[in-house]
Amino acid sequence: MVSTGSSSSVVTSEAASAQVDIVVGLTSCNHASTVDAMTAALHDGVVRHFADASSRFVLADCGSSDDTVARVRASLGGVAEVVEVASTPTTTDLLELPYHRIPGKARVLRGILTAAKSLGARACIVLDAGIDTVTPEWLQWLTGPVLAHDFDLVAPFYRRHPYEGALTKGIVYPTFRALYGVRLRQPAAGEFACSSRLLDRFLDEDLWDRDGSQVGIDLWLASAAVSGDFRIGEASLGVRNHHAHADETVDLGTTVTQVVGALFADLENRVERWQRVRGSVSVQQFGDSAGGAAHQSVSIDPERLIESYRLGYQELRDIWTSVLPPRSILDLRHLMDKPASSFRLDDGLWARIIYDFALGYRLRVLAREHILRSLVPLYLAWLASFIIEVRDRGDDAVEQRLERLCAAFEAQKPYLISKWRWPERLRT
Amino acid sequence: MTRPRHKASASDALWYKRAVIYELPVKSFYDANADGIGDFPGLIEKLDYLEELGVTCLWLLPFFPSPLRDDGYDIADYCDIHPAYGTLDDFKRFLDGAHERGMHVVIELVLNHTSDQHSWFRRAREAPAGSIERDFYVWSDTDVKYADARVIFVDSERSNWTWDPVAGAYYWHRFFHHQPDLNYDNPAVLREMLKVIDFWLELGVDGFRLDAVPYLVEREGTSCENLPETHAVLESIRRHIDERWPHRMLLAEANQFPADVRAYFGDGDQCHMAYHFPLMPRIFMSLHLEDRHPIVEIMQQTPAIPELCQWALFLRNHDELTLEMVTDEERDYMHLAYSADPRARINLGIRRRLAPLLDNNRRRIELLNSLLFSFPGTPIVYYGDEIGMGDNVYLGDRNGVRTPMQWTSDRNARFSRADPARLYSPLIMDPIYGYQGVNVEAQERDGSSLLQWMKNLIGLRKLFPVLGFGTLRFLEPANRKVLAYLREHGNDAILCVANLSRNVQPVELDLAPFAGFVPIEVLGYTDFPIIEERPYFLTLGPYGFYWFELQRRDV
Repeated sequence: MVSTGSSSSVVTSEAASAQVDIVVGLTSCNHASTVDAMTAALHDGVVRHFADASSRFVLADCGSSDDTVARVRASLGGVAEVVEVASTPTTTDLLELPYHRIPGKARVLRGILTAAKSLGARACIVLDAGIDTVTPEWLQWLTGPVLAHDFDLVAPFYRRHPYEGALTKGIVYPTFRALYGVRLRQPAAGEFACSSRLLDRFLDEDLWDRDGSQVGIDLWLASAAVSGDFRIGEASLGVRNHHAHADETVDLGTTVTQVVGALFADLENRVERWQRVRGSVSVQQFGDSAGGAAHQSVSIDPERLIESYRLGYQELRDIWTSVLPPRSILDLRHLMDKPASSFRLDDGLWARIIYDFALGYRLRVLAREHILRSLVPLYLAWLASFIIEVRDRGDDAVEQRLERLCAAFEAQKPYLISKWRWPERLRT
Repeated sequence: MTRPRHKASASDALWYKRAVIYELPVKSFYDANADGIGDFPGLIEKLDYLEELGVTCLWLLPFFPSPLRDDGYDIADYCDIHPAYGTLDDFKRFLDGAHERGMHVVIELVLNHTSDQHSWFRRAREAPAGSIERDFYVWSDTDVKYADARVIFVDSERSNWTWDPVAGAYYWHRFFHHQPDLNYDNPAVLREMLKVIDFWLELGVDGFRLDAVPYLVEREGTSCENLPETHAVLESIRRHIDERWPHRMLLAEANQFPADVRAYFGDGDQCHMAYHFPLMPRIFMSLHLEDRHPIVEIMQQTPAIPELCQWALFLRNHDELTLEMVTDEERDYMHLAYSADPRARINLGIRRRLAPLLDNNRRRIELLNSLLFSFPGTPIVYYGDEIGMGDNVYLGDRNGVRTPMQWTSDRNARFSRADPARLYSPLIMDPIYGYQGVNVEAQERDGSSLLQWMKNLIGLRKLFPVLGFGTLRFLEPANRKVLAYLREHGNDAILCVANLSRNVQPVELDLAPFAGFVPIEVLGYTDFPIIEERPYFLTLGPYGFYWFELQRRDV
């Protein structure tokens, strides 16, 4: 019998105790409309690319009220063995529903990893059942490096419109890269493949029951991986299209609070690691960087973003002065007067703003949620500046622009470290 | 707030090498029930403060039932809590709270003696001579045995023997006459002590400070200190613990020279840690002399210890600044330098806190803490020293350094809601160190306070494991007012440079083996010029110090 932790139960197929090469883990929550195609693609991937390997599917469903579970059973019944890790969301899970809409995410993920460990899996891949762009090759590109080349973590890289995933581009990736020294471009992605060695580390990590784990768990696992002696790779999977339910609209403030809060919370737990890292290294690429469907076009009016920034400056400046030094406040004031044509948020200033917010969060200079929510207009200013710079430019130009941004975050890292070590200097 | 639950000792066998220890008397910390005496419920309320301070281990002074004639080191029952401090359930809640915050807990184990109120002693004095019960203690028909053993508390005791009219015999005591020494030649004594050890470890305690450990066994014709039989007792205790309770720690209190203390580590099969007593007075001496020699000399006399063992370092503690381990001339110098007021003297030492010893000079306080936190060993901070608390030499014994913790400027320093007259001790109220000016609340609000500085220093210490694990190598610059040393562990190296003088000092350091490395000043994360073959030149402000992380340029 597979053990999955204290708050989950398991309905398992026979033969779960046999050792397997690959565990394919699916997290689901009312994904009946996408799960058929996904399981078919994944099963196809197993047959096509890992015909000689033994495999199990592990379904971790978060209390779907539709027939997600039944569909998985039906689609895989007779062709693959399925271990089910049932997880009923708690009231807290539902009240704190995270932006990715998987209640109790940490618990279901832990269930999958625990099942994979129990099955002796050499590789474990985790995917969100709401994705409707999965192809059989995803399995190959994520799992292949683990099985064939001894990689410990293969994280996805999804093609996105330049304006898409801006929170990752503007904050999460540059900060993660500067701090941990690893150029993992989408470290908070919900999908990944890992080795048995890393799987053991994940399960040993003291992060599963932390506050905010249901939001931050994906990012925290990535930082756990890059903080250890593990081989890290990245697989280009093309476009990730996630099926959205009608009620799935999370406001930007909540998203920023959750995502950036998870990023900042993790810093406190890995100080010994990130303060000793200098520079950054790239990770080996797998997959098909040019392949897959084209990303959807997105249109954003930077004027509206700038207007939101100006409004935010007027209303939140007092909060910002609790977090930011006078020089940054003055620079932001100068930005107020800039027309859209010359509206540019300097990379170094932006990096220092993020670092000062991380420090303010750490020192609780105000309620943490207030600090994080007050970041939203500043983020919109960065986004406006970014859009103005990269609009009408190709993917390569966007990548180069992001590279310059990341370099600024790395260059400003001593600013963060010195203030972190001696917080008396917070507002100097 | 949800906290991940820790079992503090469970995951890290070498936790004591990474630790920053905070020493506190429960009675002095916080009084939750308004009876004027600190207690465990009060301590629980202050765990957040300790977590915020950054310390990782709490060492509690004795809290057991006791007549309190030696501040609790006269224990009347090893397996309970003094009712003034709370109950066993309170203690368990405290222990859980500390563990949830990632803090270990070390308690006192007074192996050498009990109170004369302990049931073992009451039973012994009534029992027939030669019986097992009688032999729990050391008896004699005369007071001349073991004449080569010195009297330790010279101010209050004239002999190590005291006549007991009930037993009709003399009993042996190395400390106060009301603290009879246990007799470890009687195997039943060790068996009982092992039960005591199991009792507390079963509750989850992470380690013991073994009080007065050199004196466990007596032999004629010896000093009755550091005897092989005493070490055999310690080996038995360690073996017993290792077989049942992994990752628990034993800390020896052996006020001896380093060469003698070395034996308390055994071959890594006795104590995990031991205090480095002689270092502390020499740090103060070096500071007053403005000369590194006393520090360097004592560290050069310090033998290597087994890899898994560790020195415990401190600047001040609940006892006097002991001057037993210095020469007579050094002692005279220390008294002249640090205790011109004879009321500050007790036994062979000086009963002052850190800040008053250093004339409340912030730079000196910072300098000495920088040494404490960068020398090879685990630092121990005495409660209140993180805010620069003062003392009261007019209180008896060593009570002047055991006054209530100063939380705020409110009545009783918010230590207690009791009537001021009911407090177990008067507060510090003088114009310099009084609680109205020196208190936690004020220093939490002041970004430049000593408390904030200490938090930062503790954070830095935890950031660099080399400071807990690394070797020590002194550099020998011509300017003896400057102390420079390297801490190295694996690929990590920290260079520490300290100016022991009140004036600016230049220094040239031979760092040729590190040519090509960049010194990164640790506090400000500032790159200094790259090291070359030629001497490396630095200047240090009055009582200034640097910690440099030495990094290869290509890293």
